[in-house]
Amino acid sequence: MPFSLNTTLSRRRFVLGSAALPVAGMALPGTAPAAELNMRAAQASLPLLGSAGPDTAVLAYSGALEKQILRLKQGAPTRIIVENGLNKDTTVHWHGIRLANAMDGVPGLTQPPIKPGESFIYDFTPPDAGTFWFHPHANSLEQIASGLAAAMIVEEREPVPVDRDLLWLLQDWRLSEVGEIAGGFGSAMDAMMSGRVGKVVTINGAKPEGLAVRAGGRIRLRLANACVARMMALRFEGHTPMVVALDGQPCEPHEPDNGRILLAPAMRADIILDMTGEPGKGYAVTDDFYDGLDYTLTNITYESGTPLRDHPPDGSLRLPPNPLPEPDIANALRQEIVLQGGMMGGGKLKGLGGMPGMNMSGMGGGPSWAINGMSMTGDGTADMAPAFTLKRGQTCHLTLRNQTAWWHPMHIHGFSMKVLTRNGAPVPHNQWQDTVLLAPADVVECAFVADNPGNWMLHCHVIDHSMAGLMTVFRVT
Amino acid sequence: MKINRRTALATLAMAFTKPAFAATIEAVLYKNPQCSCCEVYAAYLGENGFTVDVKSVNDLSQISADAGVPPELQGCHTMMVGGYAVDGLVPVDIVKKLLAEKPAIAGITLPGMPAGAPGMGGAKTGSWVISAFTMDGQPPTVFATI
Repeated sequence: MPFSLNTTLSRRRFVLGSAALPVAGMALPGTAPAAELNMRAAQASLPLLGSAGPDTAVLAYSGALEKQILRLKQGAPTRIIVENGLNKDTTVHWHGIRLANAMDGVPGLTQPPIKPGESFIYDFTPPDAGTFWFHPHANSLEQIASGLAAAMIVEEREPVPVDRDLLWLLQDWRLSEVGEIAGGFGSAMDAMMSGRVGKVVTINGAKPEGLAVRAGGRIRLRLANACVARMMALRFEGHTPMVVALDGQPCEPHEPDNGRILLAPAMRADIILDMTGEPGKGYAVTDDFYDGLDYTLTNITYESGTPLRDHPPDGSLRLPPNPLPEPDIANALRQEIVLQGGMMGGGKLKGLGGMPGMNMSGMGGGPSWAINGMSMTGDGTADMAPAFTLKRGQTCHLTLRNQTAWWHPMHIHGFSMKVLTRNGAPVPHNQWQDTVLLAPADVVECAFVADNPGNWMLHCHVIDHSMAGLMTVFRVT
Repeated sequence: MKINRRTALATLAMAFTKPAFAATIEAVLYKNPQCSCCEVYAAYLGENGFTVDVKSVNDLSQISADAGVPPELQGCHTMMVGGYAVDGLVPVDIVKKLLAEKPAIAGITLPGMPAGAPGMGGAKTGSWVISAFTMDGQPPTVFATI
């Protein structure tokens, strides 16, 4: 085994300690995990510039995953032994999986960091089927921006009938003139504006080279934005995508607003694409999120042969529900998270020791953002007082208020939140999210049942933003 | 948003308008696609004899660093004009001084977004230091104090 005896012992204590708490879906002590997987975080190379160009040195996970996808089974106890083959500390955060706090992968808060050459054993039983992803929560900006991220599919107990089940792990890369991952991580400008957005966008670790399809088919396409900062708004020319799940959680099948799928960092969307195009033709998939910077992500190209069938299949698009606890809104405890700061922030951080959007001497130094007037920076600190505390089993009605001039995908660890309203209007289609995107000035109301004890993070998933102050912790007793 | 922009432009027009030059000065201004102050600054330059090509980019910090702007002195956008980088909301008179004097530097910067600067609202308080920088790693020097 590649890990030290000490690590093993401390992990056993973790398991015993946390297993005493009745968390839904958690492995019982002594229960042998159905699957034991090995994974390593290390240097690798990927064809970011296409098969013709030189490969680019990146960081990646290897081992139990195939083409950057880890496949788990809903309700199956799983053990994943993660070895750190990097030269810096790391951890793994299983983004969106409702698991025991000790398995959540936040250094200093839920576990010690995994040092270079050491390993950590993650034990959990994914309660929800769907599309998830994982990434480090230590040295997050540099490691994720260098590619350290992968998708995680938790398979439904009964497979959903589609012709093809595909996943696009979307990443972007900021490269230097010589084509290497560019330095300059954590620049003050990126921190105060829209973060480290890269110029090269890849699908599943490679330059997109088109998706070949057959007419008449039905595809489940799982989209996962693993960028550190890039927001995406995807359009599928000539097609009518139906959103069937968000952040892994099934929703009422619906067409996205204005035909574009808004996907901020860390967000996932499962869509059903019926191949209604003409054989022999090509259709662009475009991203028009940033004004004046729209581009074609890839193309869907139809084979010229006979269609798979004459018309799309009749079957329901609805995915089987996950066992999410329904919030008790009438008896909920109300909490509010206010996002402040950033460029053009109107000096909201003045007096907090932070960096106002005006009257500053430069862009260096100090936090750029705050949540409820507090700036938790870097990878976070274990001793920061929780922003709020919830009693186990209580429903939390959480209002997220964006007082900044920038977009923020706010990620809650350990829970999926039912999204209730956006700017006063009810949010339709039964949407549950672990990463809720707020446009500038947006106010979003959500609710969740605090059924999982521990200290949990709540932070912006534009990593430059979270490291510069858009991060907090709440406690469930 | 539109009203705010117009108000800002009107304020700027009052504060900064000067007779337009007959010949225009070509400049390319790189800005974050989601930042609006720079557009007001570009309009102000347009009022003052510049033809500004505003380009939205997602790698502004990289462009600024490649132009030699010291990280601690980065402005909110980067403009290329006459072979120089001009970072931040530098008043037009200072840009013209740079283009007339042609010093052996890579560019100048007014970091931060001080109140009263072109592109920002409010009134100027205190003095501003516009720094000169080079590409050879020398510490920045004072180009102008206003």
